[in-house]
Parts: sequence; structure tokens; C-alpha cells
Amino acid sequence: MNRHTVREVARQLRESGGRGVVAVALIAVAAAWAGALLLARSAVEQRLLRRDSPAVAVASLAAGAPSAGLVDALRARFPAARVRLREPDATRAELIGWFPELAGFFERLDEASFPALVEVEVEPGQADGVIGFLRARPEVVLAESSLAWQGDLERTLRRATVGGLAIALALLLGCGAVVLLAVRLLVLEHADEITIMRLIGARERDIRLPYLVCGSLFGLVGGAAGVAALAGGLALVDTGAATLPGPVAAVIVGVSTAVGATGAALGLAALPREP
Amino acid sequence: MILLEEVAKSYGNRQALRGITALVERGEFAYLTGPSGAGKTTLLRLLYRAELPDAGRIVVNGCDLVAMRRREVPAFRRRLGVIFQDFKLLRRRSVAENVGFVLSLVGLPDRDQQRRAYLALRRMGLQHRSAALPEELSGGEQQRVAIARAVVLQPDLILADEPTGNLDPERSIELIELFKTINYQGTTVLVATHDRMLIEAQPARTLVLERGRLVADGFGVPR
Repeated sequence: MNRHTVREVARQLRESGGRGVVAVALIAVAAAWAGALLLARSAVEQRLLRRDSPAVAVASLAAGAPSAGLVDALRARFPAARVRLREPDATRAELIGWFPELAGFFERLDEASFPALVEVEVEPGQADGVIGFLRARPEVVLAESSLAWQGDLERTLRRATVGGLAIALALLLGCGAVVLLAVRLLVLEHADEITIMRLIGARERDIRLPYLVCGSLFGLVGGAAGVAALAGGLALVDTGAATLPGPVAAVIVGVSTAVGATGAALGLAALPREP
Repeated sequence: MILLEEVAKSYGNRQALRGITALVERGEFAYLTGPSGAGKTTLLRLLYRAELPDAGRIVVNGCDLVAMRRREVPAFRRRLGVIFQDFKLLRRRSVAENVGFVLSLVGLPDRDQQRRAYLALRRMGLQHRSAALPEELSGGEQQRVAIARAVVLQPDLILADEPTGNLDPERSIELIELFKTINYQGTTVLVATHDRMLIEAQPARTLVLERGRLVADGFGVPR
């Protein structure tokens, strides 16, 4: 890019004024939204959907059913599993710990209301076997695995991601349209100048490139501002969430820049043609 | 050098130019004259390829303008200095920027741009107005900026459309003298004007257009 282009770009940026600011702000919002979405997804995946963490199977026993036999059978069948028996009293104590204001209520309930729970921590590959084993036992009323819960969460997360990306796409299209309009208005305002520039020997590249660079800069600055705002926001609220990975931030800024450039290219369609 | 062979141009039913054949040699100074509506501006527009003729052949500076491809036009125009009847200054840019713009198109370093723009403006007596916008200038000053822009790249050919239209007689003579000075340095100059007194004062080869036809080609004021 030569000095002529640099000067022309600076001029277009100045003259785009409020329209340019709006385009940058919208792109920043879209970029921050896309970043927040990807960050939330990544946090859920890392914290709740890790495939390498052990699966937990929980079985609820019938009231008064003997638990010792079940625990022994589990240990014998799945020697690597960590089996923990939670007696009804322990369940009651834990519930009281969670809801102290309901302590009186919990204490009035009889023991049958708090079934004994068996928690089995196994490798994810063994979870189905453990659940099958537990469900086959007559003393077990209910057996569920964390894998099933993770599956539900995964489906929900997938749907939320698709929905969120659709919103991000709509926002980006809107941003592209705003850049298109900003560049188109600039081109229309400069139509006379562009005609004169051509008459005194300006190449199409000399005329078009500054507008294209201007649109791309809207995207680049907007994308970078969005990513920076997201990082700043995360640091401010101190969620402990992971920061946006560099490559993801780069992709967001890259896509924003591409949206700006595309909007500008479409806006340049308003340029009058030479004979 | 300008070569016109059987050039014709019409707008709808109105024939603006017909059967124009002429040759202006390299390094020559010539006037193009005729009454309003005779086709002077149309002919100039064809010469800087703002338009294409309906028929005929036009060769300028060795370039066949009809056969020329669109992408070759900018380089061709940068070898011309065109002074437009309505000046065609870039209204959002200062006088210095208007003159410097053509220099930036050829990639001249900033310092050289500024120096050459200053010299061109000084030649026109406008160095003190370099920061002004065109709208802040009088018609005559705008015309001189347009001339400074046209000559700053030292073009092979200067095409001037009524360049003295906004100048007083004294300034007009000075301008033609300037064109002649540039012409002595080898630049071809074609000045379209309807000012017979100017041609009388500074006689040169004169091509006369009437109703789109070339009706005379000789030295001095047409009879």
C-alpha cells in the first residue's frame, strides 16, 4: 500500500464520521457476542463435559434394603471402581446443610424418606456396565449415570451453540450491511471527485483500494475492540473462566475484517463506470 | 501528436461531430475555435477519452483511443494535462492537495510532490493560497489551480477547454504566453476557445468547428 493509498484511507475514515463509528461499534458487539458464545461453550466443555474425567453412577436403594451386599458385589465386579455408600442419615444431614431453614422439616421425616445412595466412580467406558449391573439388582430403585446427564447437556449445548452462532451470523450480516451502506454513501458523496480522479489519470485501484481498506479497517478495529471488550469484561467480573484463546480471537478478528472488506466491496458497486 | 480521421459523434438525433479529420503534430500549438455548440468540448472529451466516437479513428500521443483497453486509459491520461471548462477541482481538498493529487498517482515522494506543487502554484501566482479550499477561491483563481494541476506533471499534451473563460484579458494573454512557453519546451498544446481577440493577440494555427464540422484550418483568426 503506497502513501497515496494511506492518505486516501485516512481521508475516507475521517469522512465516514458517525457511520464509521456505528459500523465499528456493531462489529465489536458481534465479535464480543461470538467470543462470549465460544468461551461459554469451551468452559462448559472443559468443566462439565470432560471425556477423560471419571463417570459417576448413582443408585438409590429401596427403603430398608440392605446395602452392604450391593457394595461388596460392586467391588467384586468392578475392582477399579470407587464405591461409596451414603446412609440415609448422611443424605438427611447433607440436605439440611444445603437448606438449613428446612432443617426442622427434614428432621421430622422418617428414615424411609431418605434412601441410601450408592455412588460409583468408574472410568467412562465402564459406566454403562455399572448402570446395567445396578439396575439388575432388586434392592436398587433407580440408577443413573453422569454420562446420560452429560449427553443431555451436550445436546442442549449444541442447540444453544447453533442458535447463538445463527444470532452471531445475523449480527455479522447486519454489520456487513452497515459497512456496505457506509461505503456506498461515501462513494455517492464522492461520485464527482471519483469522476474527476479518473479524468486526471487515477487507476481503478487508486480509487477502489482506499474504500476497501477503509471497510476492512472497520471490521478489523471492530473485531479487535469486541475481543478486547470481552477480555476486559472477563477480567473485571473475575469469573475465573478461561480467557479467549489467541487463535480463536484471531479468527474472530479475521472474520470481522473479512465482513468489513466484503461490505466495502459490495458498497463499491455504486461506483460509476468508465466508458 | 493528435490524429483525427473521419471522427463522428452524436447524442441521440443530434450530430455533435461529423467527418472530422485533422492532424496536430507533436510540439505544435493550436487553437480549436468556433461558436458555442460547435463541438469543441465534445472533441476535447474524445481526445482525453471521456467518450468514444461513433465512427472514425483518434490517435493521441501514439495511442489509438478507440482500440485502447479500459485499463490502459489512466496511464494515457496521466500523460495529458487537461484543463476543464468547469475546472473540475476536488472540492474537499486544498489547492496544494489538488495539484499534488496527480503527483501522488505517479508515486512521487512526498517531498518532491510538495516541491513540484509549490513551484506549479508559484508559476500561477497562487503559492499563498495553497491551503485554501477551491470554494474559497475566485473563478480566476480556481482556473489557475486547474492549470497548475494540468502542467505539474509536465505532460506530452495539454488540452485546454476555454482556459481563459474566467480571466481578464491581461491574464488571458499571460496564460497563452505560459502555454507557449510550455509549448517551446516540446509539449503539444491544443486550446479550445471562442475568444477571437485572444487568437488575434497570440496568433497560431487555428482549427475552426461549426455545427460539428471542421470548416477551416489555418493560421490566425478565421475569416
